[in-house]
Formats: sequence, structure tokens, C-alpha cells
Amino acid sequence: MQDSMVHNSSGWAASAARPGIRPRPRSRLRRKAFPYLLVAPAMIFLLGITLYPGVYAMYQSFFFVRFNDWSFAGLGNYTKLLSDNEFWQALWNTFVMGAIALSLECVIAITIAAFAYRDPWVRSWRIMFLMPMLFMPSAVAFIWKLAFNDGRIVSDLLMRLGLIDGNLDFLGSIWLARLTLIVADVWQWTPFLFIIFVAALQGQDAEMEEAARLDGAKWRQIFWNISLPLMMPIVAVALILRGIDIITMFASVFIITGGTPGGATETISYFIYRIGFKTFNFGYASAISVVMLAITVTVAQLFVKRFFRSGRE
Amino acid sequence: MASKSRSSESLFLRYLVLSAWAVFCLAPILWFLSIGLRPRTEIIAAEPIYWPTFSLDAWNMIWTDWPMGNYLRNSLVAVVGSVIIDLLLAIPAAYSLARYTYRFREDIGFYILSTRMMAPAIVAIPIFFLFRNMGLLDTVWALMLVYAAINLSLVTWIIRSYMLDIPHEIEDAARTDGASDLRILVSIIVPMCLPGIITAAVIAVIFAVNEFLFTLLIASTKNAYTLSVALANFTGGSDGIIYNAIALVAFLAFVPIMFLVVLIQKHLSRGLTMGAVKG
Repeated sequence: MQDSMVHNSSGWAASAARPGIRPRPRSRLRRKAFPYLLVAPAMIFLLGITLYPGVYAMYQSFFFVRFNDWSFAGLGNYTKLLSDNEFWQALWNTFVMGAIALSLECVIAITIAAFAYRDPWVRSWRIMFLMPMLFMPSAVAFIWKLAFNDGRIVSDLLMRLGLIDGNLDFLGSIWLARLTLIVADVWQWTPFLFIIFVAALQGQDAEMEEAARLDGAKWRQIFWNISLPLMMPIVAVALILRGIDIITMFASVFIITGGTPGGATETISYFIYRIGFKTFNFGYASAISVVMLAITVTVAQLFVKRFFRSGRE
Repeated sequence: MASKSRSSESLFLRYLVLSAWAVFCLAPILWFLSIGLRPRTEIIAAEPIYWPTFSLDAWNMIWTDWPMGNYLRNSLVAVVGSVIIDLLLAIPAAYSLARYTYRFREDIGFYILSTRMMAPAIVAIPIFFLFRNMGLLDTVWALMLVYAAINLSLVTWIIRSYMLDIPHEIEDAARTDGASDLRILVSIIVPMCLPGIITAAVIAVIFAVNEFLFTLLIASTKNAYTLSVALANFTGGSDGIIYNAIALVAFLAFVPIMFLVVLIQKHLSRGLTMGAVKG
């Protein structure tokens, strides 16, 4: 990472200073326009597929929409949103499940990365541990639906271990249903953090560790006092990326719980989907989208800027 | 003496922790594979069955009961097409962001990056209407465009990071020899950051294959169903969910992806962090 920072700044400075030595001078306008022309197609494509929907959603959010029948609603959809318990519940569910899953994933990934990176078999561990990430999330959702609910495998294993007496109805109680979704997420995505953390640890200067070891430090002390603080920027980047994906949790909710019991596992993504495509209340769904968009843009702006600075410059 | 016993103790702890996680990681996979290779009657039984009879029922079923050929073709066309679009757009954009200094460069970089932060559900409804108005609902073309949009930020940023590693002297030399900027990009920069381009492509493939929400909204028949969404419809009416078919399809998609990932293993962490970590 140090490396990239150096390259980065010197690179930009150098390219800015160079144009003078070109043997075939082109018109100034063309030279100035060139970098914009290179980036323009990507920008136009992204604007088309994000700006248009943004504006469209904002427009639609001021209407009550029933199929092709639009009637002006003013701020009706927004005032409804503020007093809609289902909305606040979905926001809360997303936060609670996301926070628990993300913390678990982070702690587990750091622990296994700390054990794995100095192991001679680290490459095999990496291959083994990354596998869950490579299954389609929809398939993973079915794995866990079968294990927890339909096939009662988890209950059976827990009974064999003597931890419980009868079958647990995992999708019937609020916290067990949430737990099911959290386990599915932890199983599939801890590898994401693990891969990143192992690479960060392997990339660290081994000499510093060695010096500390010669001074009599235990590996536990070395990890807590040297390795971990050094990799904090990378931990932050990884958690931001994972955090963004976790709040968009959809496939597992759609397949495993459908938001039950009593809306306790309904995430914001599933809530928008349900309002829009199950009750066909598109105007209201758009209003939720706009509010969520505003929140995302604000949060992303804060995070992205920090991430961009600390990670790259 | 003391230090020796401590290190063997920590070695024991290390392998205990790592193997415990390995069991948690791999057991569900093996068990799911066993689901795919057992007859339907042994999936959901009064007592869970851990040693099932071997059966290729599911394998025969996925090819006869469903248009698996269509699903595979849709996935392949949409995913490969989207990655090609991404590379065509991202390589010039990444070069521009990595090598030139100009007004709004930072803002453009931020904007591209921030599209990665947007939850699919938030834009799902307008995108649905966009494609409906364009008459593209239930086509692979719509999926191709959506997958390309989802991955473009990631692909651009990964490639940009690899371009920053290329020393300037090489370009300067070519420039002195009279090569144009475009020529330098195509015949020097692109070959030199090929590992980055391949990494970006593989990660884009994974995310595109996995995509669920947009595909669910856009696809409604075998015209556009991809594996990811098709398997969610593997139900036999009163028979409920056909888990063994789902398991086999999951492995069908897993094998090629695993192969691609092993290919880029060394670059995986760098790709996943959009270039922030050099593995």
C-alpha cells in the first residue's frame, strides 16, 4: 500500500509535466479533451443507468400509481412512510442483522487469518476457505433453508450433541429466523474478509515481526501490537465493502424466510421489492427508494471519500 | 524448554481453530453435494439421512424437466457480454484516471466508485420501468446491461490500480518514438496490465453469475432465466422445492467459477478490494 501511494503521486505529477516533449504536437484542444473522451463512455453509461432511475423514482414518488393509472399525491407517499411501522421495522432489521453478521464475520476472519498466514499450508487454507463465496447466493440460501428448516439437519445435529431436546422451529421465532439469515451470511461471506486479511498480513514486513520476536515478544503480543494496527486501514476498506453488500441482503430473505415471522427478517431491500412488485404500489416503493438513495449517497460520500484518501493517496 | 512447549501449544491451537473453521466451511458443501446425488425420497425424511443411496435422478431431471440449455446459454451470454462491455468501457476510463491530470478527475473517480455503493433494490423499480419502456423485459440484453452497470465501477478501479504500477519510462520512450496516446494504451499498457484485466474480469463474472434481484425482476420466462434465478423456481407444485436439482445446478455453476478463481488466486485480494490491497 505504501508502494501504491508513492507511485500514485509521482505518476500524476510526471504525466502532467511530460506533454511538452511530444514530437508530434497536436492541437491543444484535442490534447485537453483526450482524457475526457477516454472516460466519457463509462460515465455516460453509468449516468444513464443511475441518473435516469434516480430522476424517475423521484418523479414517480409524488404519485399514487396503480398500473397505468397515476394520480398526483404530492408528499402523500412520504408522509405515509414516516408513520409506516413496517418501514421502520425493516430499517431496524437490516441494521440489527447486518451489524451482528458483520461483527461475527470480522472477528472470525481476523482470527483465522492470524492463524493461517504464518502457516506453511496457507495456500491450501485459502483455497478451502474461499469456496463458500463461490456458490450462487440463491443456491446458498437453499442450502441453509434445507439445513435449518425443511430437512431439520441443524436441529438433528444439536439433538445428537445433547444441546436441545426437540426440533427447533427456526423460522417460527424472531431471533432464530434472524439467526438463520446471519449464519447463511457468515458462512458465505467470512471468506471475503479472510482473503483480504490474509493478503494484508502476508504483505507486511516480516522483519519487524522477527525483531519483536527476538526481543522476546509472544506471537499474540506481536499480532495485537504490531500486525493488527498496521492492517487497520485495510480492515476498514474491507468492512466498508462488506457492509455495503450486507445491507442489500435480498436473495436469502426472499428464499429462506420471505420476511417472516411477522416481518422480523424483512430487510429494506425486501421491503421495497414487496411494496413494488407484490402489492404493485410503485409510487410508495419509489418514495422509499428515494429516501434510501438519499441516505446511501450521504453515507457513501462520507465513506468513499475517506476510503479513497486513506486507501489510495 | 519453556519456549518450545509454548510454541507447540500455540501450534495445537492454530490447527484446532483452522480445522474447526474448515469443517464449518466444507461440511455444508459436501452435504449439499450429497443432496444432489440422492433420490428425492431421501432429502426430507422423518430422520435426516446422512448416508444416502447414490442416485442420478436429479441429473436426469434437470436436463429433461427444465430447459437447462436455455438457462446455461442465458447465463453465458449475459455474463460474458456484460464483461466485454465492462472491459471496453473500463480500460479507457481507467487509463484516463490513472495517467492524466485534469479538472473533475477526482469527482469522476468518486462518482464511478460510488455507483458500487448503491443498493440494487433502490434502483430496481425505475430500472424495471426503463427496460419495460424499451421493450427489453425478459431479454438477455437487459441482463447484460444491468450486470455491466453493476460491475463497471469495480472493473475500472481494479484496472486503474494495475495501471498505476506501470512505470512511466516505458510510455515516455514510446512517445518519443512517435506513438500516439491511443496506440500506447492498446499496445503497451493493456498487455502490461493483463493480470489486472483478467482479475477484474473474473471478479465481474462472479458477481454477474450471482446477481439475483435484477434478474428476478427482468426475467420471467426461459427467454432470460439465468441459473441463479432459475434454480429458485425448481419447485414441483405439490412436491415442494426440488432440492437435489438445485444442488446439482449450484455445483454446475460452482466448478467453472472455482477454476477461474484458482487461476487468479494471487490477485484475488487485490481485486476484491478494488485495488487497495496488494496480495
